[in-house]
Amino acid sequence: MPDPEKEFAEEWRDAAYNCFSSGHKFCREVCPVMQVTRNESWSPTAFHANVVAMEKGELEVADVAADYVNCTGCGACELRCPNSLFTGDFYRFRTRTVDLVKAVRGLAVEQGLHQPGWQRWNLLTDERRHEPVLGATPVEQARVRDWADGLDLPIGGESILFVDCEAAFHRTSVPRSVARILNLAGYPFGLMNEQWCCGGPAAEMGYEEQARRFARHNLDDWRAAGVRRVLVLDPHDYITFTEDYPKYFGDAYDIEIVLVVELLAELIREGRLTPHVPVERAVTYHDPCRLNKRKGVWREPREILRAIPGLTFHDVDRVTQWSYCSGGGGGLPVEKPELTAKISEQRVGKAAELGVDTLVSACPWSERPLSEAGAARSIDVVDLHELLAESLGVAP
Amino acid sequence: MKYRYQEEMSPPPARRATDVAITRFEHVYEVEPGLMTEHVTQQTFPNWDTLRLVRSRADHLAWMHRHFADKVISGEELLHDLDE
Ligand code: SF4
Ligand code: SF4
Repeated sequence: MPDPEKEFAEEWRDAAYNCFSSGHKFCREVCPVMQVTRNESWSPTAFHANVVAMEKGELEVADVAADYVNCTGCGACELRCPNSLFTGDFYRFRTRTVDLVKAVRGLAVEQGLHQPGWQRWNLLTDERRHEPVLGATPVEQARVRDWADGLDLPIGGESILFVDCEAAFHRTSVPRSVARILNLAGYPFGLMNEQWCCGGPAAEMGYEEQARRFARHNLDDWRAAGVRRVLVLDPHDYITFTEDYPKYFGDAYDIEIVLVVELLAELIREGRLTPHVPVERAVTYHDPCRLNKRKGVWREPREILRAIPGLTFHDVDRVTQWSYCSGGGGGLPVEKPELTAKISEQRVGKAAELGVDTLVSACPWSERPLSEAGAARSIDVVDLHELLAESLGVAP
Repeated sequence: MKYRYQEEMSPPPARRATDVAITRFEHVYEVEPGLMTEHVTQQTFPNWDTLRLVRSRADHLAWMHRHFADKVISGEELLHDLDE
């Protein structure tokens, strides 16, 4: 076995045996990929069992690298795993399937084993400094702030708003809504001098060196402008800034990270924002995986929805939604768009059963696949920030 | 939830609960860290992650009760049923 593989197997050995010797598969039915494929090689259990086989010298990463594409990084498996949910905090040792999947992908890339879609995606991201998303605005560094045209936002300041690639170049009404709402509340913020992609997607697809380079650039840009606080509207960026950046920079990481959804709920609670324009829609809320499962954030979006007059809100609780996903994460739509589409169709099907006309999400990356699936069933997919802006009378 | 690295990495001071357990957050118990040095070593655990698991566990148990626990039976009744 090549050395890096040996090191990898040693590092993940305990975690792998922990799962392999339990093998109870509580993770199985909450996994969106398992739900739509029933492929046992693409399950959290298999992802751990492979490491046991690697450690025994029965398997090399080349044999299984392609299997590890089949994960959205939703975090359902690791939260539902009893080794996290019932004993993780007690032992300070929990199941980390998402990290394991990232580590195998990284090991594969290190050994020159590339998935063609991911290789191209990351090459283009490296060239353009932003993910090559398809949208109204061409992806170029010079146009990363085009979404803010006419809003007259300053550059720099103590707090800056970070806008993910999908929202900056495609779903521009989301950051516009956020900016208008913050202006309405009198919350001061600026934009980055030279924002690059957060680097999170590269890390998820195994291109860690690139991810670290992008992270370094962004942190240096914040430091140079005296930024103390980064406001984040995208759950994926939120994970990157609160899990990857701390890993890269350790004690030197002194930037406060604020999730916009939580900030907006606070501003409503304090009476600094009062939604008053009725929005006549029958809605349900899609818990973005990275907020609900991976961060435990589910109350605030519901608080915001309940503050909007006119809405009929058919809520589905957060635990039921541990098994829901849009399929939009973890690079899956880049490499396996057909699986993303199936997962999204299944999610929209759940909304359709409630008889609603609108599915509200709070994650720009989920909204493209969900919108495509929603169109087939006449269900609108609307972003929570946009809905709030409408009810505050500040349409984007 | 504002994230600040230094705060997340500084858990509240530990108080001893039993010979093998400590406590840092109210009603949350942890194994005595000294027992986790030989076979399985502990992971980096920011405060938010501990609290996420604790709260998710409570939500999950409440969910299980809502869905499956519609009556309460005694152990005696259970044993009686098994005997039959
Ligand atoms: S990931 Fe957890 S729930 Fe799934 S088989 Fe392994 S130990 Fe069991
Ligand atoms: S993170 Fe989500 S998609 Fe990946 S294995 Fe776990 S449940 Fe499945």
